[in-house]
Amino acid sequence: MSIIDLTSMAEPEGEQQDKINEILKTLKEDIPNDCYQCGKCTSGCEAFILLELEPHKVMALSKSGFIDELLNSDVIWTCVTCLKCKERCPQDLAPVDVIFALKNIAVASGKQIDTGISNMLQSVLGSGYIQQPKEVVDKDNKAVTRDSLGLPSLPAPKEIQKLQQVLMKAATETLG
Amino acid sequence: MDKIGLYLGCLIPTEQYAYEMALREVLPDLGIELVDVEGVACCGAPLRHINLSLTMYLSARNMAIFEKEGLDILAPCPYCHQALSEAKHVMENNPALKAKINSNLETEGLTYKGTIKHYHVLDLLHDVIGIDNIKEHVEEPLDANIAAHYGCHLIRPNDIPRPDDSENPQKLETLLKTIGAKSDYYKEKLDCCGAHIMVNESESALTKTGQKLQAVEEQGFDALTTLCPWGHRMFDAKQEDAAKVVGGSIDVPVLYYLQLLGIAMGKDQNTLGLTLNLSPTDKLSFIEEEI
Amino acid sequence: MVKIGVFICHCGTNIGGVVDIDELVEFSSRLDDVVFATDYKYMCSDPGARVIKEAIEEHELTRVVVTSCSPRMHEPTFQSVIEDAGLNRFCLEMANIREHCSWVHKDKKEEATQKAKELVAMAVRKSKTLEPLKSFQKEVVHDALVIGAGIAGIQASLDLAEAGKKVYLVEREPSIGGRMAQLDKTFPTLDCSSCILTPKMMDVARHPNIELLTYSEVTEVDGSVGDFDVKVKRKPAYVDWDKCNGCGECAQVCRMKGRVEDEFNEGLGKRSAIYVPFQQAVPLKYTIDPNKCLMLLSGRCGESPPCQDVCELGAIDYEQEEEMMELNVGSIIVATGYDMMDPNGMYEYGYDHSPDIITNLEFERLISSSGPTSGEIRRISDGEEVKSVSFILCVGSRDQDLQEYCCRIGCMSALKHAYLLRDHLGDEVDLNICYTDIRSFGKGYEEFYRRIRDGNTTLIRGRPSEINVEKDGSINFNVFDTMTQKLLQVNSDLVVLVPALVPRKDSGELSQILRISEGTDGFFLESHPKLKPADTATDGVFIAGCCQGPKDIPDAVAQASGAASKAMGIISREELESDPMIAWVDEDICVGCGVCIDVCPYSARELNEVTGIAEVDEILCTGCGGCIAACPSNACIHKNMTKQQILRMIDEVI
Repeated sequence: MSIIDLTSMAEPEGEQQDKINEILKTLKEDIPNDCYQCGKCTSGCEAFILLELEPHKVMALSKSGFIDELLNSDVIWTCVTCLKCKERCPQDLAPVDVIFALKNIAVASGKQIDTGISNMLQSVLGSGYIQQPKEVVDKDNKAVTRDSLGLPSLPAPKEIQKLQQVLMKAATETLG
Repeated sequence: MDKIGLYLGCLIPTEQYAYEMALREVLPDLGIELVDVEGVACCGAPLRHINLSLTMYLSARNMAIFEKEGLDILAPCPYCHQALSEAKHVMENNPALKAKINSNLETEGLTYKGTIKHYHVLDLLHDVIGIDNIKEHVEEPLDANIAAHYGCHLIRPNDIPRPDDSENPQKLETLLKTIGAKSDYYKEKLDCCGAHIMVNESESALTKTGQKLQAVEEQGFDALTTLCPWGHRMFDAKQEDAAKVVGGSIDVPVLYYLQLLGIAMGKDQNTLGLTLNLSPTDKLSFIEEEI
Repeated sequence: MVKIGVFICHCGTNIGGVVDIDELVEFSSRLDDVVFATDYKYMCSDPGARVIKEAIEEHELTRVVVTSCSPRMHEPTFQSVIEDAGLNRFCLEMANIREHCSWVHKDKKEEATQKAKELVAMAVRKSKTLEPLKSFQKEVVHDALVIGAGIAGIQASLDLAEAGKKVYLVEREPSIGGRMAQLDKTFPTLDCSSCILTPKMMDVARHPNIELLTYSEVTEVDGSVGDFDVKVKRKPAYVDWDKCNGCGECAQVCRMKGRVEDEFNEGLGKRSAIYVPFQQAVPLKYTIDPNKCLMLLSGRCGESPPCQDVCELGAIDYEQEEEMMELNVGSIIVATGYDMMDPNGMYEYGYDHSPDIITNLEFERLISSSGPTSGEIRRISDGEEVKSVSFILCVGSRDQDLQEYCCRIGCMSALKHAYLLRDHLGDEVDLNICYTDIRSFGKGYEEFYRRIRDGNTTLIRGRPSEINVEKDGSINFNVFDTMTQKLLQVNSDLVVLVPALVPRKDSGELSQILRISEGTDGFFLESHPKLKPADTATDGVFIAGCCQGPKDIPDAVAQASGAASKAMGIISREELESDPMIAWVDEDICVGCGVCIDVCPYSARELNEVTGIAEVDEILCTGCGGCIAACPSNACIHKNMTKQQILRMIDEVI
């Protein structure tokens, strides 16, 4: 590599970059290289004011290969997926999908993730849904259920083990 | 169209019961027979953080099940609708991926061909059932100025087919006008509800919710209507929490559009799940006091 | 006996670096009837030409095959070379082993060499049956037509007229002047646009060699270079321009006064139904807008139409009809300009939500002393004082979904406006420019940019995602400044969007009429992006100004003069040599069915009533091949591109 980031002594990571681009190409999205840093994504980012997510910077770092600092940062987990960045990018790029790709890569490399998110995965593997039908309260603080409301029972995967198996397999495959 | 397969996803059938009640109550009157289909599961969208392959697989899987039944899909959750749309779009343009997903589907005895369509409540009402048809069913026009909330995933991104324009969606406003209501433009219309980061950044999420509700309130709307269970949960069930986070009180009635439509059609309000709305819906003149 | 020479060019390493030249020479020399084969580093150079000439003499060659680049570039070069050596110039055949071979297969050298061999073999086979053809002369019409009378069309017309040629200048609006007439000042020198344009407009009006046809449109073009037949539709102005003296009393009394949207002022002002676009209009003659005049729409305008009552010259004529005019010209210059992209293409920028969000062209009218507010800058919505103005650059430009290209004038136009606003409104006004990259590439532009940096203008390097219009009508937007790394909220009384320049919405129709091409961006396509910037695919038709692509005034004027000089190169000649590679009809086969007459876009085929044969007019025929493909009895033949020749070439490779 001809470039070193002197603030962290990090070098651009071609391999990580390839992983991001592979996921984007699966989605038929353009890779961050076309970004000309107009900043329109960050101007309209719904997460920026509250949580300092700077999509244009995510694009710049991904483009130049300084990806570890993104993978190690909580900031990629603050995207609200409003999709405005993707919708309005003048170069037809998708910062939101780059952020998703980074999250996927972080998970694959064993980074700790929020339990709320991992719980959803566990629940889907166990029952097919992110959560089971809940008892909720109405205006008068009365508890109600699907049953008490006369709603039919929730359709569920017939053989949950099979679904579990396939999902575990799919998770290890590259999409390409 | 008369028959359509109902695909509720996760959030509607596990806690957003009002949405399900309203659509089961209202749509048959408009000539739509809803068919419950066995074996379906999560659309995969919530797992997109973890692994895109899971999302793609689950979306394809659900579509394959409906395809087997020969039914088009009604996906009333924008998040599900977008996941299905994206999976369909990506597989259409990436045959290698489609083949890979199909080889996994085989394990479950399924195949995805891509022959069926899927709808959200918005396009089903506006484009399939039609405004004129709905108009004929309206018995008690609603006199109110109601802010429209589409939900980000319902209209974006425009590079995959969405039920309405990404920057200037108007179908919900048209539907509101059809039931006698007014729906003024407000600049926060396309803003996010915050739901997506509720699990890991709840305070920021509620700030988003509160800010949008405050904008709706300040601009003099009588209520806010939604087409999305995630947005509805934030604006309705979490309204009080949101008010605490942004400081001050918020008092905005929040209703699913199908609930409003049911009321305008003169339905028994008990059947529309109105007691489940935790926001102050009784402020509205057309809501019966004792349900 | 046919004696063929094969000349293989290396084109430096372009071909030589991929194709095995020695092997190709060896292969070529073994082909039937090839008596000589050789190679040279640059066959198109003088020494290369010498190699060919000497070989023709030494080996008494009768046909020459040059194996090099695309004939588009060098066919005329090699034709001249063999002509110098005494051969008929049409005894040349070229094989393109650069574009078709080495460039596209640069990683597969062996296969490329094999393909080169096949291409040479085909060319050699065809060359055996090439016929020597004779060019013939056709007379040239010395007049020219210029379409569009903006600054480019005006400049081209004046150049031609000054050179002594008669010019028909067709403009579809009632006045000449185009976009430049709408501008206030021009960058970077800040000359007043009208001050430098009006004298040129007057020159056009006064010039004895220019026949000005305003409020007219070209509807049909026939013929070819040197001799075009053009039909021009003269729209009825419903005013007898011979009588009208431009006094303007009619517009003062018009019942529609102040009720018709004024296009010249970009909708910011109102005019009457009878109008001149602006006060310095040329010609200064009034026109009735047929879509707004009560008399023309309903046949009634009060007791009697006031314009007719007030006109002492009796110029108002509701009965006037459209006229068709036929012109005969030797060359055509197209200078039809551009449209502004509708900013609603980017709905998030709120153009529809507030009258105080405007385009930079609207701003030109707002700040112009001849504009609807006489140059006073006030908020459009309520006439309030303007305390802050923001410019948003690249609205729809450099955008994959809208216009991919740079508009080339946006940056400088915003810098100019910032300068003028400071001048008009003093130190109190806040000026913000949201840019992505300031492109100040022209002469004196960077210097001008520095003047703005010196001044008190906030340059924000960033682009808003959306522009908000509050319920009270106030405007604000968030923009992330990538320089300071801060998200800024900008409150602004006026927001000026700088939209992309796009092709005229009906430029497709004109391109059909003129048989010229459009690029992927929709602008008229030049013959070569660098070396033939004013030429088109149709000989004798030239392009100038923004119809070829966005450009500033200096570039438009330069291109216009270039186009005029190219047109002069044609119309100043007495005769033109005509390409003999055209259609020929075998009179023994032709049954006179007339299919060819219908398909010919140049009216070059005509049925001879006596012989019953569809003859070819050799002057009009351009060799497009349309009739040859259409002829059901194979009676039409393309000279030196016959079916037999093509079949033999195919034979060679299968």
